[in-house]
Amino acid sequence: MKNESLFEALAARARSESPPVVDVAGRVIARLNAQQSRIEQISEKPLLWLAAASSAFAVSAVVIAIMVYNASTGPLYEISQAIAWVVQ
Amino acid sequence: MVLSNLPGRIVSLRAERLLVELVYSLMDSEYVAEDRQQTNASLAAELEDVRLSRQGDSDAYTRLIKQHQSHISRILWRFSRDRLVHEELVQDVFVEAYMSLGSYREKAPFVHWLSRIATRVGYRYWKQQARRHETESFSLAEWDQLPDKSPEDIDPGQAAELLHRLLAQLQPRDRLVLTLRYLEECDVAETARRTGWTKSMVKVQSLRARKRLEKLFAQAGKELQR
Repeated sequence: MKNESLFEALAARARSESPPVVDVAGRVIARLNAQQSRIEQISEKPLLWLAAASSAFAVSAVVIAIMVYNASTGPLYEISQAIAWVVQ
Repeated sequence: MVLSNLPGRIVSLRAERLLVELVYSLMDSEYVAEDRQQTNASLAAELEDVRLSRQGDSDAYTRLIKQHQSHISRILWRFSRDRLVHEELVQDVFVEAYMSLGSYREKAPFVHWLSRIATRVGYRYWKQQARRHETESFSLAEWDQLPDKSPEDIDPGQAAELLHRLLAQLQPRDRLVLTLRYLEECDVAETARRTGWTKSMVKVQSLRARKRLEKLFAQAGKELQR
């Protein structure tokens, strides 16, 4: 087929073409760095939320503990009360 | 005296020639061994760069990019002849390669693995173009004028441009297989490796693509006759 042989001849000719010279190293590294910092930002967010939640929980636990400590009395208080009542 | 010495002289000349051939062949084998050593050393250095890149060493990855960018540029020049798009595609290949460095098993040369990614990136670009119906213009008269010229007289760039626009009239799948088989001169196995298709699929696809190309030529002929 005439067209096919012409196609093949053109393909052979096209193979010797030299492509444009490119130097993409700098831009690729810049793109990768930008992508990396975006990923880090995204992955840092859940950690930040977790840290905030756990510190809020810790603060409330400390407040409750102080309140309970202030409200409570010594462990022997109930026994001494009972003994005092018997003695009377 | 001279005559009696002649056979001995012939023998010694032959021996001398044999000796020279032997020395040359030994030197050749030394060069080959040296070449092989150099190749092995460069392959080892490349693998080391791949390992360092995986650990986040950007200098190592820069070295890999600089080493292979001209090869990748050559492959992607078949997919887009727009310089800006072409450069963008080359960048995409190296970004995508970095992201999937973990899947490179170091069994085949790094450049083969990169070529596969480049083919995938280029094919994806064609599919996006086809979805947006962005077909490059192609004048049938241009093709018809060609037989007047011998293909050897045509500038390689002009030939590549013409084929690029002709193949753009086909579906991305047909275009890919014809580009790899004819322009990249890949055999069936290499085409299968680059596309991720099976060898039998490559054969079937090549046959179909060639038929569609013939149909395109036939249509072109009819339109030119009108």
